[in-house]
This record gives sequence, structure tokens and C-alpha cells, in this order.
Amino acid sequence: MKKCKLFFDIEKEEQWLNEQLQKGYRCTHISGLGIYTFEKTDKRNVMRLDYQDYLSKKKRDNYKVLYEDFGWNHIKGSWPGGIHYWQKEDGEQNDIFSDRQSRNNYYKRLMGYSSGLSIVLLLFSYMLFKDSGVYATEGLWSMEGVLFWKAFLFETPFALLKLIPVCMAVFYGVSYYKAYQKYSMLKEK
Amino acid sequence: MKHKLLPLSETMHYILLALREPLHGYAVMQKIEEISNGTVILAAGTLYGAIENLNKHGWIEPVGESGRRKVYMVTAEGKTILKKEQSRLLHILSLYEGSESNEEM
Repeated sequence: MKKCKLFFDIEKEEQWLNEQLQKGYRCTHISGLGIYTFEKTDKRNVMRLDYQDYLSKKKRDNYKVLYEDFGWNHIKGSWPGGIHYWQKEDGEQNDIFSDRQSRNNYYKRLMGYSSGLSIVLLLFSYMLFKDSGVYATEGLWSMEGVLFWKAFLFETPFALLKLIPVCMAVFYGVSYYKAYQKYSMLKEK
Repeated sequence: MKHKLLPLSETMHYILLALREPLHGYAVMQKIEEISNGTVILAAGTLYGAIENLNKHGWIEPVGESGRRKVYMVTAEGKTILKKEQSRLLHILSLYEGSESNEEM
């Protein structure tokens, strides 16, 4: 079974994946384009998502070996840094974090990740709009009648395309805020 | 100012104590489960982060490899930290005992 889905929020993604697993599936492959492959199984599985910044080849091996020793299977990682997908059979220890300090550090890493992406996307959008605005055709707004509508309709799909990075920046901004909320909640408790 | 890992968290404390002998990551978790009488069971991500952190501060160091696994051990600096924590905890323990204000406890 293949499912296609797009997530900007790592915790929502984790939740969705576990909902699929609870229906008696296990995840076999995740592609970068958001295509998740599942297969039927009679064992119960759980999935946990971790975020790691850039890890050198050696550190990455070390990281993987340790998780694998605990029974986790690496479904997908990202290079140079990014989300790591870990799956294992349902058991006594189903979490990848067992104390508050490490969970807090995880939220801190997530905050760095989503704010970084957000800033890069905003800079990129600024470059797109700096010279021309959303609509690029010169004199579009001074055209009249049919000519204006033709030019306007022609231009609109491009304008929408140019807005994609801004939307993505907003989504990542929201997930930054969510990670921040979780982080400060853990701090207060 | 105090070091940011001090006073030691339960996780860090147990890892330093376990690594008075050379062990790889998973063996650290098993050792801790044993010496804590099954009360502290570390998860993979917690152990990974803690080992990285302790290594970064020079309190533990890799001393070899067992297959693909790195083997760690506490350093001289790490031992000094344990000594300091021991006297801090001994002092706190002494406060539990013999004070007149908590006779009813």
C-alpha cells in the first residue's frame, strides 16, 4: 500500500504514521517526495521520529548502531541533517527518549531546524519579489479591458507558484512555534 | 558559574558510574538497568544524546571498538566530577540524619 502525504509538522507526521501502523501495517519505505509504502503484518509496530543536525559519517554510523541495538530499524534518514524515521516492534520500551532533558534537547533541535528553514525560505521569497512583486508583467495594472484580463489570467498561475515559498515559510514558522510551546511546557513542569 | 551539567541528572549520573569500566552504548543501558535494580531504563535517543554530551565535555572518551560499536570509559576529569558529586550527596545525606527539626519523619 502506498500513501502520499505532505507534512510540515514532525509530530503530526509521527502521529499519522502510528495510526497507519495500528491498522496492522508496517512501513517499508519513505521517499523524499512524501510517498509512504506500507505492508500488512500481524505484528504491532511503532514508529518514532528523531531529528539530528549534520552528523559525520562516523557519528552517523555510531548513532544508527546504537538505535539498532535497542531494536529500532532505520526506515529513512536525511542528509546532511534532518528527520530520522525509526520503527520497531511494539514492546516494553517504545520511546526513544526516557528523560525530560533529552526530550527538551529534541525540541530545541526541532526549533533550530524549523526556524532555519523558515528563514531560508523567507530570504528566497524576498529575492523573488524584490524586483517585480507578485505579478511580473510590466504595466499589467495599467492595461485595460480584455487585454488586462488575458494578461492577468496568464500571469496568475506564475504568481501562485511564486507564493509557494512564502506559504512554506509560514508552515515551518508554525511548527517552530509548536516545538517552542512543547519546549517551554517541559521547562515549567 | 556552575557547569551546565551540574548537579548531575539521574541519567548522566548513572552513565558516569557505569562507565568506570569500559562499555559500549547498549551495554551501558543494561548495566544501568542492573545497578539501579531495574528502576532506570534508558531509551536509545536519551543514551545517545547523553554519551555525545559527556564525550563533548571530556568526562568520558572512546577507548576502543567492539565490532561496529564504540566502547567508552570515564576520564580523569569525569572521575573528579564523580568525587565532587559524591561529597555533595554525602552532605545532603548527613542532613537527613540526626537533625532535631525532623524527628517526626
